[in-house]
Amino acid sequence: MYSYALSGLTVASEVVLPGASPASGGPQQADVSIRRAPVPDALTNPTARGPTWQMAARHFLIHVPGVARFYLYDGRSIAFEAAAGADPDDVPIFILGTVFGILLHQRGQIVLHASAVEVGGKAILFCGTSGAGKSTLAAALAQRGLPLVTDDLCALSLGSDGAATVHPDGRRLRLWSQTIDELALGSRRGGRMRARLEKYYVEPDGVREQALPLGAIYALREARPPHHPGITAPNVVDAALTLRRHAYRPRLINRMGQDAAYFHAATAIANGAGIFHLTRSLNFKALPIVLAQLEQHWRDIGLCRRAA
Amino acid sequence: MRTFWLASYPKSGNTWMRILLANLAVAGDDGADINRLSGGFASARAPFDRMTLIDSGLLTHEEIDALRPGANAALAESGDGDDDVPELAEGPVRFVKAHDAYQYGPDGAPILGGRAGADGVLVIVRDPRDIASSFAHHSRYGIDRTIAFMNNAGACLCGHTDRGYLQLRQRLTRWSEHVASWLNQRDLPMHLVRYEDLRSMPAATLRAALDFAGWPATDAAIHRAIALSAFERVAAQEHSNGFREAPHRQAFFRRGEAGAWRDELTAAQVARIEHDHGAMMQRLGYPLAGATHLSEAG
Repeated sequence: MYSYALSGLTVASEVVLPGASPASGGPQQADVSIRRAPVPDALTNPTARGPTWQMAARHFLIHVPGVARFYLYDGRSIAFEAAAGADPDDVPIFILGTVFGILLHQRGQIVLHASAVEVGGKAILFCGTSGAGKSTLAAALAQRGLPLVTDDLCALSLGSDGAATVHPDGRRLRLWSQTIDELALGSRRGGRMRARLEKYYVEPDGVREQALPLGAIYALREARPPHHPGITAPNVVDAALTLRRHAYRPRLINRMGQDAAYFHAATAIANGAGIFHLTRSLNFKALPIVLAQLEQHWRDIGLCRRAA
Repeated sequence: MRTFWLASYPKSGNTWMRILLANLAVAGDDGADINRLSGGFASARAPFDRMTLIDSGLLTHEEIDALRPGANAALAESGDGDDDVPELAEGPVRFVKAHDAYQYGPDGAPILGGRAGADGVLVIVRDPRDIASSFAHHSRYGIDRTIAFMNNAGACLCGHTDRGYLQLRQRLTRWSEHVASWLNQRDLPMHLVRYEDLRSMPAATLRAALDFAGWPATDAAIHRAIALSAFERVAAQEHSNGFREAPHRQAFFRRGEAGAWRDELTAAQVARIEHDHGAMMQRLGYPLAGATHLSEAG
């Protein structure tokens, strides 16, 4: 068994989870177990389903064709059965993404599709769909010396005072080869994520491994009409919609009975750390301008006095 | 709500059709905001991830193709669109733009989901000689390179493997093959719309398309939608507010004419297109300029 700290949870896993932080301290009761075990083909009386998944109460099944089928129970255990002929190294990649994201939903946690870096002791989140440029932005900021907090999936918890805490997962950056070339990160390039995918692990300079307070959430948008480049703060209603839209797999919010929790979190965060839209060109040439805008914004909202 | 594809090769009038449909659905005298057209794109990445729960950024194009039938069926069932921009009021039918050729995935399932993905399709076609000049302008490829692209069986949009896109890969194939794939498929009821007819006889052409899709509309509503969608009006909207679907720093609504190829293509370029696609051009009723190529192309 391998032991990891992921999104604030201790995880006991039969398989190596590449890039995950080892759990600190001695042997302890794990919050989550991951093991090879037979996975049922279907659930009895599913309450919701999609093309690749179905759920019923505390049970969840998801199938990544050609990779594995996964069965999640009660936010505590993950069983998987690899597909015939699957590359065994593919299985943990989907555990660390989709499967763990669903597990966090099962645990009633706020989980965002976001990458994050640390600025002035706080976590700055960049939310966006696949292809929106989260990892690119986090990589460019990490290049400027900001510690990486997470890449792609970000768990939040809300204190009784409404302050949000971000739980890092110590993961490496995951970048397309084009991004690695554009950012001149070739010397830091690690292994390929999957044999047939031109996406690579990249080791950042620094990593934040302990929980930290939330500093701000930026939802990424491409600068296309009607959205103009810049940083804006939506009103609290739009902020709530924005947070929900950027949940990791937003369709699960309703199916997991989490609507009120997300609304409550969005209100607290919009009134606290802040939820913003960061609208910019996806062209790599625009990156220096975007980074300068962010540094100015961090001074404006009191996160740092000097440029990072 | 019923879903219909608006299927076309790029630069074939799909957007103008979407504007006409938006103006049918929207009240008021200002015309639909071209930056808030409803329905979304069949190839949008975010809805795929939302439906499958799988990170498409970790999948190869081929793995995505294998999952698209199920994702499209789920999208049709839920009526979920592309939600980056708040949409205008929707009409009684959900029209979704698709540039994909009608293709089958690795397991033989139609990538767009067959009857589970949509109730039918409006196939919009345009004279490929006009497509070539319009597409060349849009892509900044140059006309000769565009003509070669239109005859490349492996042509696709968003098909690189070294980067992330906001759209999924769309296989276009050759222009003639693209059109044939839609006209010859037997999964979906199909209605053909020629861009040239939409321009020269907009009311009758739109009426026929709406009747096919089961969208009841009065003659007055159709005439109003046509007036609000006039080329000058949408071009003026783009000029003052921009258009989110425009290429970088270029106007999307450029000429919009039928037959502009006559002063934009050389005789050699026209001959090449007619050589590559003459048979399909004749099937669609686009007379060939170079009669010498008839036998060769046919």
